[in-house]
Amino acid sequence: MIRFIIKRLLALVPVLLAVSVVVFVLLRTGENDPAMSYLRLSGIPPTDDALADARIALGLDRPVLVQYLDWLGRAVRLDFGRSYVTGAPVTDHLLHYLPNTLYLAGVSLFLTLALSLPLGVAAAVWRGKWPDHLTRLLAAVGVSAPSFWLGFLFILIFSVKLGWLPSVGIGGPAHVIMPAFSVALMSMCINMRLLRGGMVAEMSSRHILYARMRGLPPRVIVGKHVLRNSLIPVVTAIGMHVGEILGGAVVAEIVFSWPGVGRYAVSAIYNRDFPVMQCFILMMTVIFVFANLLTDIACAAIDPRIRLDKGGNA
Amino acid sequence: MTNRLSLCRWCLGLIFACLVPVFRTDAGEAIVYSHFANAGPLNPHLYSPNQMYAQELVYEPLVRTGDAGDIEPALAERWSVSADGLVYTFHLRDGVVFTDGRAFDADAVVRNFDAILANRARHAWLELANKIASYRAVDDLTFELTLTAPYYPTLNDLALPRPFRFISPEAIPANGTSARGIDAPVGTGRYILAESRLGIHDRFTPNPNHWSGAPAGNDIVVKIIPDPMSRAMALETGEIDLVFGHGQISYDVFAALRRNPNFETAVSDPMGTVALAIHTGKSPTDDRRVRQALQHMVDKDAIVRGILLDSQPRADFLFAPDVPYADVGLVPYAYDPDAAGRLLDEAGWHRRGNGGFRERDGVRLAIDLVYIGNDAAHKALAETIQGQAARAGVFINLQGVEEDLFLRRQRDGDFGMIMSPTWGPPFEPHTVLGSMRLPAHADFQAQSGLPDKAGIDRDITGALESTDETDRAAAIDRVLTILHEEAVYLPIHYTCLFYAHRTSVLAGVHFAPGRTLIPFEDFRKPGSRP
Repeated sequence: MIRFIIKRLLALVPVLLAVSVVVFVLLRTGENDPAMSYLRLSGIPPTDDALADARIALGLDRPVLVQYLDWLGRAVRLDFGRSYVTGAPVTDHLLHYLPNTLYLAGVSLFLTLALSLPLGVAAAVWRGKWPDHLTRLLAAVGVSAPSFWLGFLFILIFSVKLGWLPSVGIGGPAHVIMPAFSVALMSMCINMRLLRGGMVAEMSSRHILYARMRGLPPRVIVGKHVLRNSLIPVVTAIGMHVGEILGGAVVAEIVFSWPGVGRYAVSAIYNRDFPVMQCFILMMTVIFVFANLLTDIACAAIDPRIRLDKGGNA
Repeated sequence: MTNRLSLCRWCLGLIFACLVPVFRTDAGEAIVYSHFANAGPLNPHLYSPNQMYAQELVYEPLVRTGDAGDIEPALAERWSVSADGLVYTFHLRDGVVFTDGRAFDADAVVRNFDAILANRARHAWLELANKIASYRAVDDLTFELTLTAPYYPTLNDLALPRPFRFISPEAIPANGTSARGIDAPVGTGRYILAESRLGIHDRFTPNPNHWSGAPAGNDIVVKIIPDPMSRAMALETGEIDLVFGHGQISYDVFAALRRNPNFETAVSDPMGTVALAIHTGKSPTDDRRVRQALQHMVDKDAIVRGILLDSQPRADFLFAPDVPYADVGLVPYAYDPDAAGRLLDEAGWHRRGNGGFRERDGVRLAIDLVYIGNDAAHKALAETIQGQAARAGVFINLQGVEEDLFLRRQRDGDFGMIMSPTWGPPFEPHTVLGSMRLPAHADFQAQSGLPDKAGIDRDITGALESTDETDRAAAIDRVLTILHEEAVYLPIHYTCLFYAHRTSVLAGVHFAPGRTLIPFEDFRKPGSRP
């Protein structure tokens, strides 16, 4: 298992390097001009002299390779430069906002798991009955509804009409309920349907038939034999849900004025604030890659076949 | 079994959390406003990310713009100007203190001017910064400013929200310049920045020692809400008390609030103009008849009704008539598609076939219209103009571009027409006119094909430097008349501020002169202390 983890960790290095190159190059292609962005965001008229000065100040007069290596060298020390908008160190601001995003994403992930597992099990156990129909309807709505629309709908119902929940900002537990539900709903519905499908397939397999013939109680059959074997696709999906949830969090942070990295990044994208965009994309890549790594480790823990290498060694 | 029970408990807990009525953030007697970003470091001498409304609250100028656009005393009680227009002498108000207890005196003014002018290049857009020859403290309460040449809007520029505002000298870094930041936001203004939580809110408290002696009002909490729709919802739910300004909420939301009897709403006088600058040096708009035809083919009333939902008035001129020196008796171009057609025919652009675009020598009549692609309001205007022009046989090639590229195209004159909103009071007309002489501005590029562009620039400089009111008015009259007759600008609508609040939540809300000042000190929450 340790060899498996080390191998996967080493594989991360080229992935992150490749992403850093792509991010750096993409942001400088086309008509994007960091010097022009810098002047615009600083409110300085873009005269020829001002542009030339900005290029020198930002190091844009050097060859692209030198710029990249310089940026990479500082990035590994978590120095992503200063925001063109605020003039503050990018890392400071992102680290300020990151806990809020992780809080929202964490609650959303918890909701995803806490609701999708019982609902998925119920749909499978009472297949063809009303719990199944209900969860299918919920899944259809949840998968189809975009999170920004859900967000505004929640605000309309729970804030404007009922006055139960605050519609904007961060504060007590009440503030996180609507953003987390709007982010989690899609992942929850996907998970629920995956689990239901897996369990239904598992229930028709031979070992379940034998278990029934042995007279095992239904809760043992479902809990020990059906559910556990149906969990691998769900665990794999959770890795993807991290991406969905972080993507959804960006939208929810705008709708609910949640002070997270997503809202900060959208503002940076809108403003062409290059240092922030670079840092955000790289940070999200790291989170995605580590989420996938954790998923792989979890799958390997559940299913020993996954962690076996070609020689059959663990 | 234990696992199942545990799961059930979690689910029940969650449902319970949803059903329990929730305590909201208690802002007490504070007036809760919202803005798209934090106030920033609140450096009075610098620009973004310092928010102008917040700079207005914390810092004060020597003189300020009054309701009628006239200049009123602020930190200077009175002033005098030498006959040659070069020397301004300000007599400072006695007894004014910064919120750190330091006295406001001529030395503080000098040290602020030192800090500002150490970064003079940064303020080069402001003519006054280029014209200051020297300054000195005559005595504790007298400050003297000497210019290199007369400049009539000196007092107007001193009244701007930045950079000529005053921070305690103790808060200016030891190197004497504020170009790289300040030590703390310490002003003499009505409010003190008491708390700033990044991305969440700012809190301002009244300055108890303000020289006006006015009773302290409510605290102000400014929540950070970037999205206009979320802001509208927050107003609806009572999480914020008011929206105030331009672009805080969409036109349709404002229209809905106007119909809601529970809300008090108002629209200000014009605070700027949304106009298209038309390039006079590039075909086909280098022909005055084409430019004049454009004026006649756009139905501004339809735009006001259909897009602006009657919340902004139609604009006939580059500056609203109540802008100083701007009411020069020009005749507006009426909406007249027939006249537009005649002008285009005269210019040699004829229709080929039914409903097609006009052509001349086999070339289609096409004009690039450049705007910032993610500006929804400008996009809607551009698309409407495209439709209206198509009916007159003119193809408008919409080019919604990113903001950087927009600036570049503006600077390089790479446009047929380009969105060119004016800056509104207190920048009009002098700052806008002054900027027409700078090649980096769209105005300069748009006017570059006029036969007497040099004469226009001379008139602008003459107006800015004239000490004679009549000469100045005559020069501005000439400039505005030429620009109007040459149809260099296609004004669409005047920009007005608006506010909306629940009638039961706030009282005393009104507009201030200029688009950056929010007179919070006059707003009251019913039941709060007077």
